[in-house]
Amino acid sequence: MDIRLMKPSDIPHVQQANITNLPENYFCKYYLYHALTWPQLSYVAVDVSRPPKTPYDPPKIVGYVLAKMEEEPADFVPHGHITSLSVMRTHRRLGLAEKLMRQSQRAMAETYQAAYVSLHVRVSNVAALHLYRDTLGFKVDKVEAKYYADGEDAYSMRMDLTDMQLKDEKKKKPSKEEVDDEE
Amino acid sequence: SEEPALPTNAEDRKAAAALSSLDANAEEETGKDVDTEALGAAMKNLDVKEGKKAELAKVKVEAVDVTLLVEQLELTKFKATELLRQNDGDAVKAMSAYVTAAV
Amino acid sequence: MPQPLNSKDAASFRQLVKLYEAKQHKKAVKTAEQILKKNPNHGDTLAMKALTLNAQGHTTEAFALAKTALQADMKSHICWHVYGLLYRSTKQLDEAIKAYKFALKLEPDSAQIQRDLAFLQIQMRDYAGYIESRKAMLQARPALRQNWTALAVAYHLSGDLESAEKHLKTYEDTLKTPPPRTDIEHSEAGLYRNSLLNEMGEAEKGLEHLETIYDANLDRTAVMEARAWYQLQLGQSEDAEKSYRDLVVRNNEYRPYYEGLEKAMGLDRSKSDDVAKLTELYKELLEGNDRLDAARRIPLDFLTGEQFKPAADQYLRKMLIKGVPSTFANIKALYSDPARLKTIQELVEAYTPETTAMNGDANQTNGDSKPSRLEESRLFFLAQHYNYPRSQNLEKALDYITKALEITPKSVDYNMTRARILKHKGDLAKASEIMNHARELDEKDRYINTKCAKYQLRNDENEKAIQTMSKFTRNETVGGPLGDLHDMQCMWFLTEDGEANFRQDKLSVALKRFKSIYDIFDVWQEDQFDFHHFSIRKGQIRAYVDMMHWEDRLREHPFYARAAINAIKIYVMLYDDPNLAHGNTNGVNLEGLNAADKKKALKKIKKEQERVAKEDADKRDAEKKASPPKKTGGDGEPKKEDPDPLGLTLIETKTPLDEAVKFLQPLLEFSPKTIAAQNWGFEVYVRRGKYLLALKCLIAAHSIDSQQAKLHEQLLRFSQTIHSLTEPLPPKVKQVLDANSNIIPEF
Repeated sequence: MDIRLMKPSDIPHVQQANITNLPENYFCKYYLYHALTWPQLSYVAVDVSRPPKTPYDPPKIVGYVLAKMEEEPADFVPHGHITSLSVMRTHRRLGLAEKLMRQSQRAMAETYQAAYVSLHVRVSNVAALHLYRDTLGFKVDKVEAKYYADGEDAYSMRMDLTDMQLKDEKKKKPSKEEVDDEE
Repeated sequence: SEEPALPTNAEDRKAAAALSSLDANAEEETGKDVDTEALGAAMKNLDVKEGKKAELAKVKVEAVDVTLLVEQLELTKFKATELLRQNDGDAVKAMSAYVTAAV
Repeated sequence: MPQPLNSKDAASFRQLVKLYEAKQHKKAVKTAEQILKKNPNHGDTLAMKALTLNAQGHTTEAFALAKTALQADMKSHICWHVYGLLYRSTKQLDEAIKAYKFALKLEPDSAQIQRDLAFLQIQMRDYAGYIESRKAMLQARPALRQNWTALAVAYHLSGDLESAEKHLKTYEDTLKTPPPRTDIEHSEAGLYRNSLLNEMGEAEKGLEHLETIYDANLDRTAVMEARAWYQLQLGQSEDAEKSYRDLVVRNNEYRPYYEGLEKAMGLDRSKSDDVAKLTELYKELLEGNDRLDAARRIPLDFLTGEQFKPAADQYLRKMLIKGVPSTFANIKALYSDPARLKTIQELVEAYTPETTAMNGDANQTNGDSKPSRLEESRLFFLAQHYNYPRSQNLEKALDYITKALEITPKSVDYNMTRARILKHKGDLAKASEIMNHARELDEKDRYINTKCAKYQLRNDENEKAIQTMSKFTRNETVGGPLGDLHDMQCMWFLTEDGEANFRQDKLSVALKRFKSIYDIFDVWQEDQFDFHHFSIRKGQIRAYVDMMHWEDRLREHPFYARAAINAIKIYVMLYDDPNLAHGNTNGVNLEGLNAADKKKALKKIKKEQERVAKEDADKRDAEKKASPPKKTGGDGEPKKEDPDPLGLTLIETKTPLDEAVKFLQPLLEFSPKTIAAQNWGFEVYVRRGKYLLALKCLIAAHSIDSQQAKLHEQLLRFSQTIHSLTEPLPPKVKQVLDANSNIIPEF
């Protein structure tokens, strides 16, 4: 599978993956809002091994992460937020969720100076909890009662990103010219 | 109340808020620290070549041919005129080109 | 000329505008009426009232009032602006543009009207008009960076990349001090300009420019990718190699990086001499990186024969021991090569518990030891393998999946595969049953729920399918589960449900589904509108341009083609036999009946149709009483109930071919290589008497597949039709036909 940035043209297929896999669904326009406000943050996993059947075959999206920066951050500390993450049942156990998340998180830190990233997960979703807490290193911040439309509570989780932020220019490695000069 | 009720869960509310912010009549931000003099000078130097479009506009096209193409090819007047212009104003040439265009 | 209001009324008018903008429509209307009591002919107030009425859904009244407003005050830019907004809201975009232009002439300094005009022009892809508007906006406020960028974008979209880049450069050159590093608008503008240079093929200039923005730019992935690309284009192989290696480290699951690296190192997969070096490279990249998949899988694409077998063996064992369910999905692309297919089949079949030394279970002799994970994975793999078209043997497939199910009977994945095998065998009923069984094993998972609903629809079990879907839909929505699926733009369901209804001759419902899909594409096209302003403000220009390119080809999406072809089929059927509009004729043969009997039979059919409609309506009422729906849809807009749930209005159209053409034009424009599109285009055009368009479809179909049986049948019919016309064709049309009829048989 290829892990790459989500482009606007992927949106109908990401939307389909989302409505296939999850009960929380969104209009096309909301996906556009993500893709056009923070285009560096959302990633897709594409099954590139499928032989094309027609000249108009769309990319086969088997996983995605839809991410943004919080529009009104508390305390004015910029932070990222995962709107939605899902991998097709048929493509689990390839580490796709982890890979999607890591790419998104790095972009949040580098491009938008995110200090941390947050997300919500259903309290009953053991598999997701394992991914976020044990594999990626998220910590539970609090419980939000009746967060989901069906009334289920959510864990609000967060993970620190400061070590992925871009370092000050002064501290970067010397350029080739500088090194040559010194020789 | 007459106002559309807000969605009941936090997620939907956030989404609705984000979408409605899209068409907000935001005040245009004031220009940043700009060199207005340089900009004024720069504006004067913007000179765009006329290009092919102007040449095409000079091709003569008969109204009766436009009507024929509109009818036969179910095109808008605008597209029919454009097609004729691209084909030296020749209706048969234009229609042939259209019918045999590669897919 | 706008009549002056006294100061109190003028304040009320300002209040009216604010209320409208805050969507407080009832209050706005009240305020308007207060002003009008004393100033009954105040055009601007009438116009604002009209605008508000339109927002409340009273469109006809709104238009009438807007006309009155204009009559009261022809020279008011507000009245013309409102008129334009009304036209815009009812999608009469040409009229809207005309109205805005009038308004702008009357009030050239209104930034708002200029913006509305500009956005509408670009929405309609009127590039020339948009460029003019953007030029004016730049003239009005040259200090705003956005205006420069927007004009550049206008040129870019119109195809004039040179002018676009020039404008960006001009603005950049005026910046005395570069903006702070965190200025995302500046960061993005730099990348946008660079992407233009690349699109213009200016690799040298592009790389030079890139180096000036490289260090400060916030989008590290973009600058690294651009640099690697330019270095490769310019033959700077060593640098390109380093750049691509850095990219692979950043994201080791993206094949273009590996391809770039291979090219930079001068390696060619098709050259057998390079294969050894390539193998070395991938071995090196894998070192210490256990979780990597791409680097492990890619060599299987270029290794052949004796080298392929051990590599495939290693890969397969690793995946199967781990128990990765997508192993087969990952491998099957290789099956286009029969030699590789055979190798893989032999390898996996040979993985028996006794012969595999890699897992410890070979040592267990205990009778009730659980089969190793490798064994179970192997069975699952082979079940999928024998289900796949190129290696199909459905009996073997069933056998393997049965064995896998004996080990883990509650596996959702195994039950799913069993259902798929049964589907391929043609037993749709059993397939649906097994898929439902799989669903019951994990009721919290929507994926299996979706699959189950799809299989039920394929088996024409529409009621069951919607029940299944209802376990995950927001059922309080107006219209229940089906309403929610429409709202959330769930195209796959609407398509499959439409096709199922079509199979059962329920033409009106089928047509309704396909029309819903048509409407969703309209919504998606409309969605871009706000971004013409939003994206320029935010500065994320590359994403905006990408979005525009996608929207340009929106209906290329296979779901559009599928819905369109289905709808067109139905419309052609209706044209050929208008009696079909009266629903399932239950096999009643209307041919050969005398007029009186025919009338009776039609009456009976219509009555049956009415009865079904009433039954459906009663059911909905009962459902509503049981659980009253929300008054608003997911986007907070007030929702109206569907007045025609069975699609009867659609099917009773007196102009089916006109309706067909609405579906057909985008179909032919965006999916011309789909031969079915050309076939159905012919059917529509030959019936409409548009013989040149019919010919165009034939010529196109011929270029796709000259041997197609349907095409041959259509060519014959075309020839017959042309030679038996009652009226001669216009001479120029005849000329075109004669000049391009080499594929048409002489009749």
